[in-house]
Amino acid sequence: MHEPSPRLGPAFLLAASELGMASTAHLFVREIAASGGDELVREAALGLGRDFPVLGCIATRWLAGERAPRPAPDGVLAATHGLARLLVVGLETAWLDVLLPACRGLEIGLLIGDGDSSADFRRVLANYEDLAVGVTLAELHRWSGRRSGLLCFVYGSDGHVVRVPGAWLRVSGPDVRTQFAALIGWNILGAAMELYPRWLAETAASDFSTIVEP
Amino acid sequence: MPRPTSASPASGQRAEIEALLAPWLPEKVDRAFVARCIVDEGPIHHRGASYALLRLLGLALAAVGGPPAARGETAPIALRLPPHLRRGHEDENFPLGVPLAAIERLAPRGSAAFDHLLECLCDGPPHHALANAAMVSVLDALLTRLAEGRSGA
Repeated sequence: MHEPSPRLGPAFLLAASELGMASTAHLFVREIAASGGDELVREAALGLGRDFPVLGCIATRWLAGERAPRPAPDGVLAATHGLARLLVVGLETAWLDVLLPACRGLEIGLLIGDGDSSADFRRVLANYEDLAVGVTLAELHRWSGRRSGLLCFVYGSDGHVVRVPGAWLRVSGPDVRTQFAALIGWNILGAAMELYPRWLAETAASDFSTIVEP
Repeated sequence: MPRPTSASPASGQRAEIEALLAPWLPEKVDRAFVARCIVDEGPIHHRGASYALLRLLGLALAAVGGPPAARGETAPIALRLPPHLRRGHEDENFPLGVPLAAIERLAPRGSAAFDHLLECLCDGPPHHALANAAMVSVLDALLTRLAEGRSGA
């Protein structure tokens, strides 16, 4: 029987820094399944799930029959109606690849430099040329306005608590909340993860003016 | 008296304030922004108090026929951006302003009293200033309707 390589964790972390945890998890689970079937996916979920709960969650759901991400931009497009600018907090390329081309007419920024030194955002942004620009935390206020919105990836919700990238807590302070017309959460996992969401932060669902469910 | 403890407004409060503001803010994105700032931001007791006052004013206005169609000049309320980060764009103002005609009921435009009242209404944190603007808008409409009723009687 195959066993997950011990190098899988560091490789996952490196890839996730430039693709996003959920996007990378779907990629890895697909490849693990191709290599060793459901049994190896189960091993990966057990062996890596505690360290990387998003990977564990997506591996577990793979075993339950959810075989691919289903990023659909419609809910986010509806939530951004009337906005001129959208600043995205967090990185999930599988979802951005679908959303950004659908957002024509909307100026998009991707918040970069969240302290993850392994991420090379030049490579990330090169994939979104003419679709999005990088925005540092110091430039945050320049993106504010009555037709500006913040969009944050949400990694599951129990209806009250949501899991978000830590950067959300740094950009959604009381001052910033009233400088942006819409605070949109895009729930890309659906129900809450069972494991403690290390790498992420927990906050109240009421942080957001709208949460778009998958 | 116990203090309110829940940060979450009762279901539908924001929607009710959005509906109340619709005559002044035709764009949904603007109504949602202003209503959120009034009933979902700032201290909890302010949220509830502003909701109650606005709803009561809205009921009074509805009882006299709702807001008249005409919208006069307003003073903008600026987003609370640090001064060195302001770009001077229209986008840096909240969608709702304070109707100047209402203040003119109290002091002549251009007078020190007028400027002082306007500054007081526009100042402070967003939930304060926007609740002020919303209440003054409704009150101005209410007073206009009442004057119409008197002149027609």
